Amino acid sequence: MSVTAEIISKTFGSYAALDKVSLHAPAGKLVALLGPSGSGKTTLLRIIAGLEKPDPGSGRILFDGEDVTDVAPGKRGVGFVFQHYALFRHMSVAENIAFGLKARPWRERPSKADIKARVEDLLRLVQLETFGARLPAQLSGGQRQRVALARALAVQPRVLLLDEPFGALDAKVRRDLRRWLRHFHAEAHLTTIFVTHDQEEALEIADEVVVMNQARVEQVGPPREIYDHPATPFVHRFLGNVNQVALPWAGIRPGVSVPTEGGIAFVRPHDIEILLPEGATPGIDDPNATGAPARITDIHAAGPVAKIAAKRDDGLGVLDIELPRPRLAILRLNEGDRIRLRVRPRANP
Amino acid sequence: MFLAGKTEEGDGETFSTQMPPETDIHPSPRTVKIAGRAAAFSTAGALAQSRHVTRDPMWLRVLLTTIALLFLLGFLFVPLAAVFAEALRGGVGMYLAAFSSPDARAAIRLTLLVTAICIPANTAFGIAAAWAVTKHDFRGKSLLLALLDLPFAVSPVVAGLVFVLVFGRHGWLGPANLEILFAPVAPAFGAFVDSCGLRGTFLGPLAEWLAEPSLLPVLFSPPGIVLATIFVSCPFVARELIPLMQAQGADEELAALSLGASGWRTFWHVTLPNIKWALFYGVVLCGARAMGEFGAVSVISGKIRGETNTLPLHVEILFNEYNSVGAFAVASLLALLALVSLALKTFAEWRFKKEAM
Repeated sequence: MSVTAEIISKTFGSYAALDKVSLHAPAGKLVALLGPSGSGKTTLLRIIAGLEKPDPGSGRILFDGEDVTDVAPGKRGVGFVFQHYALFRHMSVAENIAFGLKARPWRERPSKADIKARVEDLLRLVQLETFGARLPAQLSGGQRQRVALARALAVQPRVLLLDEPFGALDAKVRRDLRRWLRHFHAEAHLTTIFVTHDQEEALEIADEVVVMNQARVEQVGPPREIYDHPATPFVHRFLGNVNQVALPWAGIRPGVSVPTEGGIAFVRPHDIEILLPEGATPGIDDPNATGAPARITDIHAAGPVAKIAAKRDDGLGVLDIELPRPRLAILRLNEGDRIRLRVRPRANP
Repeated sequence: MFLAGKTEEGDGETFSTQMPPETDIHPSPRTVKIAGRAAAFSTAGALAQSRHVTRDPMWLRVLLTTIALLFLLGFLFVPLAAVFAEALRGGVGMYLAAFSSPDARAAIRLTLLVTAICIPANTAFGIAAAWAVTKHDFRGKSLLLALLDLPFAVSPVVAGLVFVLVFGRHGWLGPANLEILFAPVAPAFGAFVDSCGLRGTFLGPLAEWLAEPSLLPVLFSPPGIVLATIFVSCPFVARELIPLMQAQGADEELAALSLGASGWRTFWHVTLPNIKWALFYGVVLCGARAMGEFGAVSVISGKIRGETNTLPLHVEILFNEYNSVGAFAVASLLALLALVSLALKTFAEWRFKKEAM
């Protein structure tokens, strides 16, 4: 089912959380709402769920073209997963999952046996078969979030809404759950919208990314397009690390296209090449070499990618450069070395 | 990592790599190092400080503990023991005799009745107030919170006097004012009752009363005592619930609503189980206050023996009549009720802590 938000505004007192925001999540897609805190992404998600009302007269929420703006959250057919799980703390895991089914009016309520079977299915789905009798307090963060997912899925929602679902988890658990969600979505094709401030998460699992900033949508598109062709300086800064390079800079040769705005070029750290003068040993300056001269101030080589900071000779700032470890070993660079830098031409498909 | 991610734009270094806010994926090498060092430093500092704090000299700790224990002994334990000792001075027979007089029994009955009305009323009010304050935003919220503390702040005697002022013979709702208030409607109502031929039903006396209102049965009667007691004991439940419900937030309720539960079901199955021990604690405190209230009740009750005398008032009367054994016997009953309350309260606290963990 597709979800559409039309020119939604939301103000809290004098603070505008959403300013005429529109959004379209196509049926069966996994959409990420990405933005810094305070950008309005959670408010938008809660308005889609019906947990928050848009400003009177400001816009509509449509599910498959049907106006649900005034429909109660429980009747919209949404599954909502909260950042801090919001599990019912006095109920067991199984009772938590069964809650939505038991809350139905008796005419639509499945029989006890059906509920039990459904709960067991869901426990299997989230790989918590043996945890049904436990209380939420006895589970780890990752397990709790899986229970929250199972609970939201129990009511067979038409849309799954996740508010920073992995935000409170540690890195490894986050990665596993992210992968799990990707697989689940690939099989179930349930329209899913999730909020995150983690650009890597959004780029890795979403079909479509909506970048938000200061109550507005900055850009919408598939992850790759957003990463390669950021529409605004904000998106450029927010997605991946980027050097803001004051122009003119000799490292950008004519013919190499680099996004610029107002005398500043945006260059990703892994798009900068380190050149050593031909045949020269590190540390010796060669005025004939191409590229812009700089001096290495810092090398951080833990992890698969080495991170190097280099100060421009013209004093107009410090550049961050990333290069693979083997390449660092070949170049034999040291802190204090003089190098030359240039922007690698983009290899766009 | 997270610390490093938080250092965002606006640090003056316009040309360096700028971290996107709240990202912890590729922090620049420099910020990581700085953050790491800062973290190590502050942890070491905190450790040294905590060791220092717990290392008070022995003599100081002994002194403080002794002062606290002596204070408790002198001001709480000795008086409590004295109450029971005095009550039992004439033997168990005399002790029990103090409860057998009709006046004493009436006082016990009235106190229990007032408490039994007060507790549900204040529980309902307390839950409603706490719910309104913690789960919703509305105009006048801070005013409601301030008013909630009024019964704590104001002297109970004043509270009692307020009711005398409102319901007394010359009060705002006294007969003279009521007559003026009902004057426009009373004749019409009387005519209506007559035209329908309903004089014989309960509407007949009501029409008569509206035409010539008498004193409302509040002053010097149990309804007044109930009102005064509700007033002084109303903040307890709400005051217990508000901090807890504030800490719990509204997420669980919202989750229940999004799963299709009705508001009523959400309250019974989600909210109430989460607050039950705090609620119990508040109810116990409210009950203890209701049973022991003296000031407000003494102003409004009129102290009519056998009719409007509560236990605390009865103690005072007996004491003033030099019946010290009787006074202390009844007082010991109040003390006993207080001890039971204390035990219940401790139990609630213990369960509360256990569930919070």
